Amino acid sequence: MVGRIRSKAGPDGLAAGPFARRRLLNGDIVFRLVAAAAAGLTIGLIGLMVFDSVQAAWPAFQRFGLDFVTGIRWSPSFTIYGALPFIYGTLLTSAIALLLAVPIAVLIALLVTEFLPTQVGRPVAIVVDLLAAVPSVVWGLWGLLVLVPFMRPIEQGIADGPGRLIPFLGPPTPGPSYFVAGVVVAVMIVPIVAALTREVFATTPRLQREAVLALGGTRWDVIRCVVLPIGRTGLLAAVLLGLGRAIGETIAVTMVIGNAPRIGGSIFSPGFTLASVIANEFNEATEPLHAESLVGLGVVLLVIAIIINGAGVAVRRRFERSAGRGR
Amino acid sequence: MAADYGALLSPTSRGRRFKANLVVALAVVATTFALVPLASVFLFLVTRAAGVLGPDFLLQDPPGDLSAAGGGIRNAITGTLEMTALATFIAAPVGILIAIFDTEVGGRAATGTRFFIDVLVALPSIVVGIFVYSLIVVAQGHFSGFAGSVALAAIMLPVIVVSTEEMLRLIPRPISEGARALGLSRWRTYASVFLPTAVSGIFTGLLLAVSRAIGETAPLLFTALGNNFFSTDMNEPMQGLPLLIYRNALNSAFPAARDRAMGAALVLVLIVLAFNLLGRWLVARRKLSRSTGQ
Amino acid sequence: MNEEVAMTIETPFRQAAVLPTWPAEPAEPVRPPETDNAVVLRLRNVDAFYGAHRVVRDVSLDITGNAITAIIGPSGSGKSTLLRCMDRMHEVVPHARATGLIEYMGTDLYDARIDPAAVRRSIGMVFQQPNPFPTMSIADNVAAPARFNGLVKSKTASADLVEQCLRRAALWEEVKDKLHHSGASLSGGQQQRLCIARALALAPNVLLMDEPCSALDPVATLQIEQLMTDLRASYTIVIVTHNMQQAARVSDRTAFLTMGDDGAGYLVEEGPTGRIFTQPRERLTEDYISGRFG
Repeated sequence: MVGRIRSKAGPDGLAAGPFARRRLLNGDIVFRLVAAAAAGLTIGLIGLMVFDSVQAAWPAFQRFGLDFVTGIRWSPSFTIYGALPFIYGTLLTSAIALLLAVPIAVLIALLVTEFLPTQVGRPVAIVVDLLAAVPSVVWGLWGLLVLVPFMRPIEQGIADGPGRLIPFLGPPTPGPSYFVAGVVVAVMIVPIVAALTREVFATTPRLQREAVLALGGTRWDVIRCVVLPIGRTGLLAAVLLGLGRAIGETIAVTMVIGNAPRIGGSIFSPGFTLASVIANEFNEATEPLHAESLVGLGVVLLVIAIIINGAGVAVRRRFERSAGRGR
Repeated sequence: MAADYGALLSPTSRGRRFKANLVVALAVVATTFALVPLASVFLFLVTRAAGVLGPDFLLQDPPGDLSAAGGGIRNAITGTLEMTALATFIAAPVGILIAIFDTEVGGRAATGTRFFIDVLVALPSIVVGIFVYSLIVVAQGHFSGFAGSVALAAIMLPVIVVSTEEMLRLIPRPISEGARALGLSRWRTYASVFLPTAVSGIFTGLLLAVSRAIGETAPLLFTALGNNFFSTDMNEPMQGLPLLIYRNALNSAFPAARDRAMGAALVLVLIVLAFNLLGRWLVARRKLSRSTGQ
Repeated sequence: MNEEVAMTIETPFRQAAVLPTWPAEPAEPVRPPETDNAVVLRLRNVDAFYGAHRVVRDVSLDITGNAITAIIGPSGSGKSTLLRCMDRMHEVVPHARATGLIEYMGTDLYDARIDPAAVRRSIGMVFQQPNPFPTMSIADNVAAPARFNGLVKSKTASADLVEQCLRRAALWEEVKDKLHHSGASLSGGQQQRLCIARALALAPNVLLMDEPCSALDPVATLQIEQLMTDLRASYTIVIVTHNMQQAARVSDRTAFLTMGDDGAGYLVEEGPTGRIFTQPRERLTEDYISGRFG
């Protein structure tokens, strides 16, 4: 090969010529394969884990059928396992958490993006984000030792007051309860919802804002006419993702929810969520059906989480696309 | 998504001004409301836990019986550091490769992967714990620090993928075109041009992922399990800081356990905050240098 | 075989199919006589598309060796697109493609058996916006692409190459004491010369320049123009420029493209620069040159 000058390369020359594609062990092909392998293996591995878990839980599903999801009794001593108390607990605490967290998060986002000058707004945003940096177990500890005693008189007050008329708000109030768990989860999801909502509000087109101001509108008018309507989809995405986080919250919940495997009559009753019962009972579940049922609860939680988070991601994507267009 | 100017037609400007001020007031109240727990947590930790901290606390192992006073949290600190380090070694290369896959290969496969990763970000960590349990603990027949590391790696992975992808996306087009025009092969381009350019962002993403993993308890419950003794063996159950806090907190009727939990919580929060703030500071510094055209 | 030379690459211009070693003094490349003033790039009926939209229509052009060919025309006439077709950079954009014949020294560049990256190593490109790699030093910017492509292996060969190319790009004197500084720390004109040096390091025969001076100040522009004139002796240069005076100053041959009614650029006229500017054959050319449009 050395020593030959080619000034013209015929068809054969192409295959071996100076510009020929290198076949097979081409570095680039290997590169792409390795990257694809990383992605594929990860997805495969996680798929395998899901499969293993479903397989492990299968005996429980088989034994109870649909009753697993709708059964209201969870009793290891009688080997009867129904998930409804935990689904109820998850839904209730998440609902309480959302009801508390979303308005607050939206107001925080408005404060930071609309009302405060950027210099002040940024540190405020950072401090709010610090709420998310505190680990779940520390929130649980705080909830147990600070919040529960703090809330007890309040809970008592509500239970004795309106609680007399509405059993849902009534006694018992032992301390740890759905309500306290909801409050703790609310504290934990405020930073997430606020951060996402902040992003949503920040992408409001300047043109529209200025249109309102030019017509003599106040800052609230800007919010009402432009920021909120345009950010509707993004807001939905933020709420969905906050909800997804709320249903998965485990450790903090299990420390303040009272750990009672039944459907409590009021929001001040102790209870359990899907995540917290697994954390609580898994390591002591000696009887195989118990363990299998707990894994089954995990599968139920997984399905709920995929649905909610999947919806949240999809809505967020839709918002991002239309926000990109709207500019 | 259209704006709705109908509200501007309402007559009283005084009414609208009042509403505007009311909303500002509400927003301030809400923000303060949200920050109260933050202040409360810090106060709580600092006042009640400060007394517990001391060199002994950090250098000794906990007593076998949780209710007994004395001892420290050494095995928890080393356990957490070890497991997080191994988790980073596992998650970082895989995460970066997945991000490269998404950026380079693109197409439908990448869209699917991205969606998958996005859902993974928000997956309940207890579910991750169960997954790793059913894959590794069951296969190995025992709990181990290794299983705990894998669970933490699963938590860190989506964060690393998302932040690396973002960084690669931000590489200026002239750089990318310049590398192509020089006939550099793709892997060479990534190795010598793209990744070095994105490295500070990738590092920050790693920091944030680590700060998240350090604080996680649920994934460790059924994988590393916890250990009352000092151990650096990855094949044995391993103690972690969040695990220690959790178990002591469940026994908080005993003052010794309660104190230990609070002391450990303070240490944990300080560590997590350090990583978190370091990551933020790096992001801010990078944004600043970019805007001043460095 | 000389230790300094890494890989033999068969390209027609190389003597003995061995890349020139880079001695301390610049050596005159020996050219086989039949390539003097021969046609280096032959374009026949070239069309370029972005998706279904044609942007270059039926261009046939010969690029002469050891000469500077300028491509001029109003914006939107497909000049840059045509240029990018010559080193297969056009197809990098998604859904972009080119049809027709582009022959380089007798080889059809668009043949399916050909590796685009190899094409780009033989046909260098300099962009409008200087784009040195920011994470590499000045020396590395020049040497790394050559190193990656196996053109130099030892450290001394590398250093020689760096000096060689920086001298050819008329940048050596200004940067010889700060070779380890970041490539991005230079002024705009210096950065552009660095990009030229980097392109030269791959020992191309053809240098494509896409409006290389439009991001530079007048002084830097003149430096680059002088550089182009010096390089002409050893390289074939094709420059796209919207600056007619620059084309008149610098080039040996000029091609004039304009946008047709269908939105695609087409070749109006081509020939020696002197003739094009003083006695254009086409009315459109004369209108453009005298400023009546464009």
